[in-house]
Amino acid sequence: MKGAAEERAAWMLATPALLGMAVFILLPFAAAVALSLTDARLGSPLPLHLVGPVHYLRLLTDPGFLRALANTAGFAAAAVPLQTGLALALALAVNRETRASALARTLFFLPVVFPLSLVSVLWTLLYAPSGPVARVLATLTLGVWQPGDVLHDPWLALPAVLVTSVWQGAGFQMVILLAGLQSIPDDLYEAAALDGAGAWRRFRSITLPMLRGRLVVVAIVTSILSFRLFDQVRIMTRGGPDGATATVVWEAVRAAFDQAQLARGSAMSILLVVAVLAITLAVGRLRGEEA
Amino acid sequence: MSRRTRRALGAVAVLAAAALWAAPAGLMVLGSLTPNDAVLARLGGDLANGGVTFANYADVARRTDLAANLLTSLVVNGLIVALGLAVNSAAGYALARLEWRGRRVVLVMVTAIMVVPFEAIAVPLFAGASALGWRDGWLVQALPFVAQPLAVVLFWAYFRTLPREIEEAAWVEGAGIVRTFVSVVAPASRPAFAAVGTVTLLLQWGMYLWPLLMTVHEDVRPLPLGIATLYGLPPLAWGDVLAYGVVMVVPVLVLFVIFQGAFLRGVASTGLGR
Amino acid sequence: MRSRCRQTELQRTIAGVVVAALAGTGCGAGAEQTALEVWAHAGQESERRVLREQVSRFDALHPRLRVRLTFLPEGSYTGQVQAAAIAGDLPDLLELDGPFVADVAWQGDLLPLDGRLDPGLLDDLLPSVVTQGTWAGHLWAVGAFDSGLAIWARRSALVEAGIRIPQGPDDAWTGDELDAALDALARTDPDGAVLDLKLNYRDEWFTYGFAPLLTSAGGGLLDPGPPPHAGGVLDAAPSVAALQRVQGWIAAGRIDPNLDDLAFVSGRVALSWVGHWEAPRYRRAWGDDLVLVPLPDLGRGSRTGEGSWVWAIAADGRQTDDVIALLQFLLSPDQVRATVAANGAVPARRSAIRPSDPWAPGGRLHLYLAQLEGGFAVPRPRTPAYAAVTGAFAEAFLAIRDGADVRRALTRAAAAIDRDVADNQGYPVTDAMRRRWEAER
Repeated sequence: MKGAAEERAAWMLATPALLGMAVFILLPFAAAVALSLTDARLGSPLPLHLVGPVHYLRLLTDPGFLRALANTAGFAAAAVPLQTGLALALALAVNRETRASALARTLFFLPVVFPLSLVSVLWTLLYAPSGPVARVLATLTLGVWQPGDVLHDPWLALPAVLVTSVWQGAGFQMVILLAGLQSIPDDLYEAAALDGAGAWRRFRSITLPMLRGRLVVVAIVTSILSFRLFDQVRIMTRGGPDGATATVVWEAVRAAFDQAQLARGSAMSILLVVAVLAITLAVGRLRGEEA
Repeated sequence: MSRRTRRALGAVAVLAAAALWAAPAGLMVLGSLTPNDAVLARLGGDLANGGVTFANYADVARRTDLAANLLTSLVVNGLIVALGLAVNSAAGYALARLEWRGRRVVLVMVTAIMVVPFEAIAVPLFAGASALGWRDGWLVQALPFVAQPLAVVLFWAYFRTLPREIEEAAWVEGAGIVRTFVSVVAPASRPAFAAVGTVTLLLQWGMYLWPLLMTVHEDVRPLPLGIATLYGLPPLAWGDVLAYGVVMVVPVLVLFVIFQGAFLRGVASTGLGR
Repeated sequence: MRSRCRQTELQRTIAGVVVAALAGTGCGAGAEQTALEVWAHAGQESERRVLREQVSRFDALHPRLRVRLTFLPEGSYTGQVQAAAIAGDLPDLLELDGPFVADVAWQGDLLPLDGRLDPGLLDDLLPSVVTQGTWAGHLWAVGAFDSGLAIWARRSALVEAGIRIPQGPDDAWTGDELDAALDALARTDPDGAVLDLKLNYRDEWFTYGFAPLLTSAGGGLLDPGPPPHAGGVLDAAPSVAALQRVQGWIAAGRIDPNLDDLAFVSGRVALSWVGHWEAPRYRRAWGDDLVLVPLPDLGRGSRTGEGSWVWAIAADGRQTDDVIALLQFLLSPDQVRATVAANGAVPARRSAIRPSDPWAPGGRLHLYLAQLEGGFAVPRPRTPAYAAVTGAFAEAFLAIRDGADVRRALTRAAAAIDRDVADNQGYPVTDAMRRRWEAER
């Protein structure tokens, strides 16, 4: 089309979103970088000083923060395969045109409409020492396993939080994968069946490859969301027991909002972005190598 | 075992699993109808304990600003979704369909920004907005989330798959590019709008951190904050908290049920993945 | 930019322009009324009800004024105040949790109260209340009450287990006596958990409720300096020993997790370590079977907490005289009596105490007053570093609660506190600050 007019139109269309991202994402990000190199305290009457990478050095040698970093990374590493795999299984299970399947689909999707703060409050109750989760686990293991206070157990607390995240999120990923499943033409399966391929073989050579793109998207979205773990920590565990459920976002909000340590909180935020970028790039590279 | 029997058993198993999956929601409803001091016992297995009572809902109406919280959630999220659809679709379209200098760079940047978690910029954004005195309102809770890289990318992916004929017909008649987008392309892309709108709503409805940092008065606090507030308000009354939870999820559930069809079609068409 | 009044967002959105045009000042309060914005923490239901009633009473007495009262959740109260402070959005009158006053004052957000309040009022206040609100030579905040911290017990349970009931703060159980008492009570308790430490509470409770134990053992939170430092105090042997004892109780299963906050009320436990605010609820549950027992003496005498929510005035306010009037009203003897009737705290004014009151000698809450007047109460450190202090201590306590090594947890906490102090150059009080405060008195 006409070059100059097209340029003008494009900029007109794109500018609002770009402006929004510049003001509300890039600008604060730049501010975070700048603040992290100072001794900024929220509301301090003292003048601001540039202190260089002091906060970064402290954080990278602070066992508490390193633990939060490890928790965050570990949580994401566990959440991605667990939630993606579960979502795929659920999608396969409800991929029928029956009313029963439709009902099952709705039930699996139900937790998605629960805000994480509600999930946190609800599951705090469910995880109570004599509550339903404890009862169910004791029953299933015939009394062998009596979990006690799950949220205060250093080994069980983070997995318990993981369960709440997966419970809330899997239904959403299921719907995305379901849409993908339903777009795979039936004759592909029929042809494979005629060729003598069993269910597992059909799954591996037809379903998985055709779903590949969506699976990757689901995995990426899950990992990005996992890095943001905060609501459950703030409401259910406050980072406990002894830092077992502390995440980077939790520590950053605690530092900046509860203790006015703005520079330190900003440094934590930057480290989070670096970690996420690094991992996303690594995953992207892996994907590129496969393709 | 015949194929039909296997199928039937399979369906039963799936339904049982689904019921178990949704059980916490059922327990929430059950707990909301239980007197406060019997909730823990009842959920712990003593199901008959306490009878049925609606007192918790009355308590919630009395102890909280539920109506104001609900209104805030609706308005703030409505703004985010509506403005977001307009703004992000336009950008996605420009990136997908138009030739302009910087297009490639912008696309790369938008994809890169997508991985930046909101929480990473929440702290400086909070400090900056507070210093400007911009706190405690609906706009400050909505505007930062209008422009979304994820939405832009979703629209970009979708618009790339649209047949060119749609715009070309309008361009041939002399319509401007922007006008064509607004009156021709957008209306033809309803499924994509439905999908992106629903995804945005689902991701934003539960926003907790930002209002926690930025709001003080209950009349501008959204539902996710309302329940955390109620949870922290002495005396701790589990029945009340669960009743609030029930009221919280009903609107979104209703909205979802209504728009389910469009949402599913839209998810399929945006390809949410390549 | 101060929000002098608050309409609901809905009103503002729908009728904003019209209201502003008609009402001049733009306040829904009416053209002739001035609005006073007041923030308070969302405490017990009875406390909130009384405060609302007091505000109505004040409104009725002053038709020219209208008070808008907002309750903020305790969990994020400090953060909210801090954020509002940098936004220039503080209310006219705000409650502050005692030890945080120094920080807000240091930042220049508060009006010094010395010279602005009736001398009669100041003389009538309990010394602990004045101490709490004083920092860097000025009075910044005054409360209507001071807190009481002790162990509530069911007398019948103690008698049945053969446990001595202390008669006063100088008669407290020793650490070993308390250990033995817990064991004695556990013998007849189905789940062995006999003491409620309010482990379900959040952050600030742990500093308030358990720092006195450190002092009683010869340790403490902080050496005021200046500059304040925690190393050598918080991580010293006495402090470590005090918390090791608490950890021992938890490890032995003597402590109820109290997830439903009903442990004492329902009779699951015989002892509850908590402040005055549970007085009304516990009284309703157990009536005359209740007895107050002082915190244990770990060597240096029984020590307990003091300080509670106090009222402060924002520095950049416009209707200072009206706010002072409101503050004085809330601190008048009648209002003080109403407040403490609702929350069981100790009245801040001696003139508000009558011989028949529970705090008077022989009364069921007399222990609280005796502790405050007898020097058994230890204020939490008054320093701008307090947010860091309490954050670090709470984190350490929660870790200790879950089994962490006590010395390591406290050393880490002390290091975090000292680092925060160093980062802020020791939280100096500069001459410029002093000059401004003198001018504002």
